[in-house]
Amino acid sequence: MSNRDYLGEFEHIVLLAVLRLDDQAYGVTVRREIEVRTKREVSIGAIYATLDRLEAKGYVQSRAGDPTPERGGRSKRFFRVTAEGVSAINRTHRAIRSLAAGLDLLGSRL
Amino acid sequence: MRPPATRPRPPGIAAWLVSLFGSADQAESILGDLEEEVSDMATKSAAVSARRWYWRQSLRTIAHLAGTGVRNAPWPLAGIVLVGFLLQWFSAGLPGRVIVAILRTQRPYSNLHYGFYISFLDYGIPITGAIQSILLGCLVAAFARQREMIATTALSFLGTASIGLLFLDTSGHGSRFAYSWPFVIIELMNQLAIVLGGVIVREIRLALRNRLSRT
Repeated sequence: MSNRDYLGEFEHIVLLAVLRLDDQAYGVTVRREIEVRTKREVSIGAIYATLDRLEAKGYVQSRAGDPTPERGGRSKRFFRVTAEGVSAINRTHRAIRSLAAGLDLLGSRL
Repeated sequence: MRPPATRPRPPGIAAWLVSLFGSADQAESILGDLEEEVSDMATKSAAVSARRWYWRQSLRTIAHLAGTGVRNAPWPLAGIVLVGFLLQWFSAGLPGRVIVAILRTQRPYSNLHYGFYISFLDYGIPITGAIQSILLGCLVAAFARQREMIATTALSFLGTASIGLLFLDTSGHGSRFAYSWPFVIIELMNQLAIVLGGVIVREIRLALRNRLSRT
């Protein structure tokens, strides 16, 4: 993956949510974390579409958990952020900080 | 002592639709997540609102799965849909020709069962057309691996749009070729039959996959 590849807005949000949840990141917890912290309703489908794309880019890895009764005997799919994923987050943060530097974002210009 | 709460059953049709549009692995984790959330929700709110939430999430999930499927392989998918559309277009008159050919072999006008032949003509053409559309849907789905529903739904939308355009084009000019409403309804049913073909192939593949994973 190119080291100039920046994260899209939702990719960024999902990666940060997975990072926050550590080893408890799966569809339900990622969706709730995003809803609680961003006050934005997201669908499970949007989470998985983004996580699949991030996995294809090498930014997250997934593993299957054990099936549980409250899930109708279906297994969870746990995600964790890879070193490349952490680099992508840092790269995107640096770019945003660089672009925002010197701007009076809370001042009269808004 | 309170009886133990029974776990709410998620809407079966919504779950089935999600399983049709996602890969088997995706469907496993997505349906598990939805069921876990709806179980949790049902303990806090009414079962009706939990089911409504499940349906809303399912439809949005299907839209995302379809969008991802298209984005991941846009050109192969477009090629399959285009070939399917051309096949549909050039074989449009085939059911009628088959039925007329069958009737000719029976010499209907010299036969006492005239009514039977008229019924055969009236019902035979739409039924043959539906069978032809199901087979076309199966063919398109067979080539669109893992994207059976996306390909057949797209083909169905394309066919519906072309029927709509032809109907609008011919109905305003008093043409003797103007499409009648029964004809349009039969054609729309044929578009649904294409999607049914996709469902059949998808279900067969899922069943084979499940059988292989058990052995």
